[in-house]
Amino acid sequence: MTHSHDSTVGDDLLALAVPYALHALSDDERDALESRLSTAGLAVADAFYDEVRAVRETMAVVAAASAEEPPTELRGRLLSAVANDNVRFLPPSNRRRTAWMSVAAALAVGLITVGIGVSLRPPAQTPSTAEQVFAASDVHTISGAIPAGGTATVVFSRDRNAGVLVMNDVPPPALGTVYQMWLVSDSGATSAGTMDAQAVAPSTTAVLTDLGNSKKLKFTVEPGSGSTQPTGQVIAELPLI
Amino acid sequence: MGAVVTQLLERPFDQRLDRAVTIPVNGTDNERVRQVTTADLDMLLRRVAQRDPEAFAALYDATRSRVYGMVARVLRDRGYSEETTQDVYLQVWRTAESYDPASGSALAWLLTLAHRRAVDRVRAEQAATQRDSRYGATTLERPSDHVSDAVISGEERQRVTACLGGLTDLQRECIELAYYQGMTYVQVSERLSANLATVKSRMRDGLRALRNCLGVR
Repeated sequence: MTHSHDSTVGDDLLALAVPYALHALSDDERDALESRLSTAGLAVADAFYDEVRAVRETMAVVAAASAEEPPTELRGRLLSAVANDNVRFLPPSNRRRTAWMSVAAALAVGLITVGIGVSLRPPAQTPSTAEQVFAASDVHTISGAIPAGGTATVVFSRDRNAGVLVMNDVPPPALGTVYQMWLVSDSGATSAGTMDAQAVAPSTTAVLTDLGNSKKLKFTVEPGSGSTQPTGQVIAELPLI
Repeated sequence: MGAVVTQLLERPFDQRLDRAVTIPVNGTDNERVRQVTTADLDMLLRRVAQRDPEAFAALYDATRSRVYGMVARVLRDRGYSEETTQDVYLQVWRTAESYDPASGSALAWLLTLAHRRAVDRVRAEQAATQRDSRYGATTLERPSDHVSDAVISGEERQRVTACLGGLTDLQRECIELAYYQGMTYVQVSERLSANLATVKSRMRDGLRALRNCLGVR
């Protein structure tokens, strides 16, 4: 009987509304479910998304129970990032790009304690790699302290296959050595550039292109002007996940 | 390059923004403060969609403890939680225009976005390192401190805690594992040695009970 078949399919789908709303499906399951819903008929889809909405409203209320203040520095960093965004006074064609240049610059400033330049130029014909990273929907921020002093922060996007590295207050490498950055994947380490004493102080940024399958960004001390493979002391590792 | 940075550093953003904030979420004891309503947040999010930094600041103040607290429950790491919270609010700034009031409240939209990112992060971390010990079990009712009463009243927290306490242990366990530990319902069923249908119905019954208890329509 068609009716009971539809009901069964509907019940089957509806039983997944809560796991769907709680993000408790794998990506594959979620995609499969969404595709089934798109052909399931309006009544079933409405009932499904209505339940999803109710679950999400409920969990939004539940969030009061786990509320906790974030570190206070986060506020200044975020507000600096958006406050310099004067997009409202710009023609639409320049909007995004300029906005994201400002956000990128301000974020970098938020991350540093000594004023330095960020190599982001006014809008060019095409957005810079850094602008593209900051505008990406999958942008991620990872930072870590360097034992010898200072911090390294990388903002990256897998979609853009690129990242922006900001180093602050890192002591210069010993005479005759450089810091070298490595993108490390299962198949080994690839050099992502070097920094000498002049480049490090007091802060520097670098653009990382072609992240590939790399899982972490490693920093080592290398002799002379750098090596083809990491040989020296590891000073920091940032996971790129 | 230097000029850009100097300009950024010299501007007293917080002071400038707070003047324009209409919702006194940072009130002192002597100040009259009012609860931020759902309608206020919807309005703020619409203003954020128009790139209004003051609205963004007010939205952040009104929601930061809920967002950060939830993210921290999932990630259990201060550094990761701060990074993820930053990414969440940058995504809000960038995509506020995609918020559709017809599909739910601004707060639910924001926490859904934040939970998605937290779950993605915890799954990525676990896949990368399998550091299970770091993501051990905790209880759903863990109290947390240092939250401004202007944003979330003690009464509201007690009510939510009471409603969570009203769930059966099995319901609470399923929701805990899925929502706060980022497991899929299949992983939850493996963890609890329960079949999939049972896990799905426990989650659904638990959510319905919570929803009724909290009066969410």
